[in-house]
Amino acid sequence: MTGKYRIIIQNKRIRYDFEIKRNITIIRGDSATGKTVLVDMVREYYENGVESGIKLQCNKSCVVLEGRNWKMQLASIKNSIVFIDEVSGFVSSKDFASELQKTDNYYVIVTRESLSTLPYSVNEIYGIRNSGKYGSLKQTYNELYQLYGKGNFLNEVRPDTVLTEDANSGYQFFYTICKKRRLECISAKGKSNIFSYLTKHNVGKILVIADGAAFGAEMEKVIKLMEIREDIVLYLPESFEWLILKSGVIHDSELPAFLDAPYDYAESSKYLSWERYFTELIVKKTQGTYLRYSKHILNEVYVHIEIADRILENMENINLYWKDSCHGDGDILTDGRVSHDNV
Amino acid sequence: MLNICYGDMPDAIFNTSVYFKNVYEDNWITDAQAKEMILDIDKSEVLDSGVIDSPVLGKIPATNLSGGVKTLILIKNEPYKVFNASACGDNCAKWILKIAEQQDITINLRHLMDFGKGVFSIRILNTNQIVHSMKELIPIAGHFV
Repeated sequence: MTGKYRIIIQNKRIRYDFEIKRNITIIRGDSATGKTVLVDMVREYYENGVESGIKLQCNKSCVVLEGRNWKMQLASIKNSIVFIDEVSGFVSSKDFASELQKTDNYYVIVTRESLSTLPYSVNEIYGIRNSGKYGSLKQTYNELYQLYGKGNFLNEVRPDTVLTEDANSGYQFFYTICKKRRLECISAKGKSNIFSYLTKHNVGKILVIADGAAFGAEMEKVIKLMEIREDIVLYLPESFEWLILKSGVIHDSELPAFLDAPYDYAESSKYLSWERYFTELIVKKTQGTYLRYSKHILNEVYVHIEIADRILENMENINLYWKDSCHGDGDILTDGRVSHDNV
Repeated sequence: MLNICYGDMPDAIFNTSVYFKNVYEDNWITDAQAKEMILDIDKSEVLDSGVIDSPVLGKIPATNLSGGVKTLILIKNEPYKVFNASACGDNCAKWILKIAEQQDITINLRHLMDFGKGVFSIRILNTNQIVHSMKELIPIAGHFV
């Protein structure tokens, strides 16, 4: 399934109006904001149609997944928007993550739990807020709002240490840049290790760079840690591959459309998260060119100064400065690989 | 004292809404503190044990209260049981602390509930440590959720 979908569901007393555009959307937040009421209305409309007294406008079928037989039920749901309420304990299971990957549906999951088995985006975690009365004065209008908006750094960020989520090309790129500039760069070797690293290290400003497209499960605890620590800065592009694609170093007439509306191209049954979509896209678009991209070993061309600078310029207000005023050429390697200590 | 077990806890009652529906008693709803919690969180007024006036949903039964309030009422009235308090949003946190001032309770949390900027006493059962602020709680509890 691709595309973005507006869902309007209402009865005489309450109206919800929101849009979803990725395969996994999470709803959480305070109690009594209407999360369960939303799922109840979807269920009642699915079971009774217009006879329920509920109006539902959406270009896709909306269904509720619940109960002990969820796996059997899921096997029969195709090309739909699936709602799951927080009382469904199966959402945090590996079994559910495995079954979800076999489907082409979009999922709207009500939960405060961090679903570490699912790679969901930090941009698709929402709360519900009351936006006042709509139409007749009796009807309350609810909308979704992003809990973790795109971070706009008001002041320039000058980190002492860069902590990357992965140990692949993204890390190799930042390691090389940081080494030249005499900054420290460390790989957490997995997003689930980032919180642990941060709690053990508390020296200087740490810039965490992770794939926003799949960092949703880690977001709550890292944000909570940032509320009590001023030395942590979080930078979450969709992925490192997205950062390169966005920088303009790869010239392709189709790219702007792919980057502006990935939801129209990233088939949910094929790409569990957009991070995987952008990886496949960059590999495809650079195949047979000097910019040939590999996820595991960074093509050295990406750390050449002209290209690296364009990628870094994309990271608004983040300054990987030259520590100790050393502007030497550093260690750009020419053997087709980036060599460094920690990989 | 408030005791919290973070992360998966098989013995905890996970689906608090179903449990509430089948065990709640009328006097749990008309209790003064329950009325306060319902007013504060659900913005609803208890008319009697069977009818609650919600500004959004109209006249509703107790079973239609929010999942957060129902869980709070369970924690208060069955303190010897452990409930999944991740059915409660952050707007329930102050009430959990209040209930814990009145009696020892143990809850299960699968997320980092925000207990506010004040001082409190919470025992994290996973490590058997007592913490007194979010600054102390987050670096410990974050490892288990």
